[in-house]
Amino acid sequence: MTVTDETDEALMARYGRGDVAAFELLYRRHEMRIWRYLERNVGNRATADELMQEVWFAVARDATRYEASARFTTWLFTIAHNRMIDSIRTGRRHTSLETLGYEAESVVAQLTADPGLGPLAAAVTRDQAGALLRAIETLPGEQRQAFLLQVEGDLSVEEIAAITDTSFETTKSRLRYARSKLRELLKDYV
Amino acid sequence: MNEMPPSKDESEDVDDHYRRVSALDPSRPSEPVRRAVLEHAARLAEERTAANAPAKISSTRPARHRSWWRPAAFGTLAAAALAGVLIAPQFLTPRAPPKSASAPAQVSQPKAAASPEAPVEIKEQLSGSAAAERTPAPPEAQGNAAPASDSAAAKNAPTKAQSMAKVENTSKARSGAATSNDSETDARRTQTITSPASRMLAAPRAAAPVPQELAAELRRAAEIGDVPTLQSLLGRQPVIDARDESGRTALMLATLHGQAAAVDALLARGADPNAADARGMTPLQAAVAGNQPAIVAALQRAGAR
Repeated sequence: MTVTDETDEALMARYGRGDVAAFELLYRRHEMRIWRYLERNVGNRATADELMQEVWFAVARDATRYEASARFTTWLFTIAHNRMIDSIRTGRRHTSLETLGYEAESVVAQLTADPGLGPLAAAVTRDQAGALLRAIETLPGEQRQAFLLQVEGDLSVEEIAAITDTSFETTKSRLRYARSKLRELLKDYV
Repeated sequence: MNEMPPSKDESEDVDDHYRRVSALDPSRPSEPVRRAVLEHAARLAEERTAANAPAKISSTRPARHRSWWRPAAFGTLAAAALAGVLIAPQFLTPRAPPKSASAPAQVSQPKAAASPEAPVEIKEQLSGSAAAERTPAPPEAQGNAAPASDSAAAKNAPTKAQSMAKVENTSKARSGAATSNDSETDARRTQTITSPASRMLAAPRAAAPVPQELAAELRRAAEIGDVPTLQSLLGRQPVIDARDESGRTALMLATLHGQAAAVDALLARGADPNAADARGMTPLQAAVAGNQPAIVAALQRAGAR
């Protein structure tokens, strides 16, 4: 087994024993998933940056208390979700859709600036990215959280229900309605 | 909300589209954040390695020196046995009983020992090193009195230790009251020690987590609503209003996460109901924002503004 084949849980155990390289590998593996979960929920890069730091600080701090009985990704996304909810409750996260729209447009602008894309591909990508981000933005918060936990964290309905402190049926319903709405909004692309 | 939920295949289409577009999303955390996270992780790992180092040495030492440790132990036992053989004849030799009414005289007379007063007298005369000297009593002098003296010594020893501990506690408490709050805390802590056993049990407390770690554990327990752990931590006299990097106390975190029982426990132990976080938000404001009426009521009862 190579280092990169090691499970998240094994890497976490190694970091708990003081192996920094194991933590760096874990961070690289999950950095973007956590980042997208946070950024697409809070809609603000500065806040997402703050939360990102808090989440990974918490992972590092609690490494010795982490029990491998729970999947690492479940534990990680639980921390991320709780921090994000904290942020919303304390008012650190803005809830303005206008600002979120601004951020989304900024991402789209970056996509079009990718020199690897031809003019047509860039236009298609820009349209798709813009449509997707706007569609996610329009989802109700609870549906958005459930959907992002599933697509970014690969979490089961049971795991999402536990993280969001809701019933299995409610979570299932949120996921269905989130996808239904996204499908409707993205019908030209999907 | 009245429309039919999509089928599984349709869901997969949406997920695939999301992943395809997300893969092209160049948005990522800022470099300073990434650096800060990795540096923090490295620092914590170093601290853990340093903290574990002495334990590793102590755990390997017995194995490394086992070949020396065993002969040393057996040698000590052999020396003790030899000493016993040399000293025992002195006690075995019959002696004329002393004329004074001292304990050995009474001990050497089984009849006297059998009387109800004898154990009391023996007990009274046993003290400190005298009690230790009496344990290897001559066999013929033991009779019924020897077990009585042993049990008396056994009963007496902890009693003495307790009284010594109490004297020590009293003096510490007095000096503590005259000096500072820290020594008052010490005095309070030592007052709970009433025997050598409890003193030994109390010793690991000195090696307990440093205040910051204790406070962090307290905040964590409050955040997840682990009330038994919270109560246990509160019993270890943490800095109850210690703050995390965002200026949040344990009470604030319990409030944010709707942990009403944890809020009650913290308020009962004197947590500041008005301790605002770095952004100036108070627990009461957080409870109102989070629609937590029970916590709002508890905070108001505790004097939150």
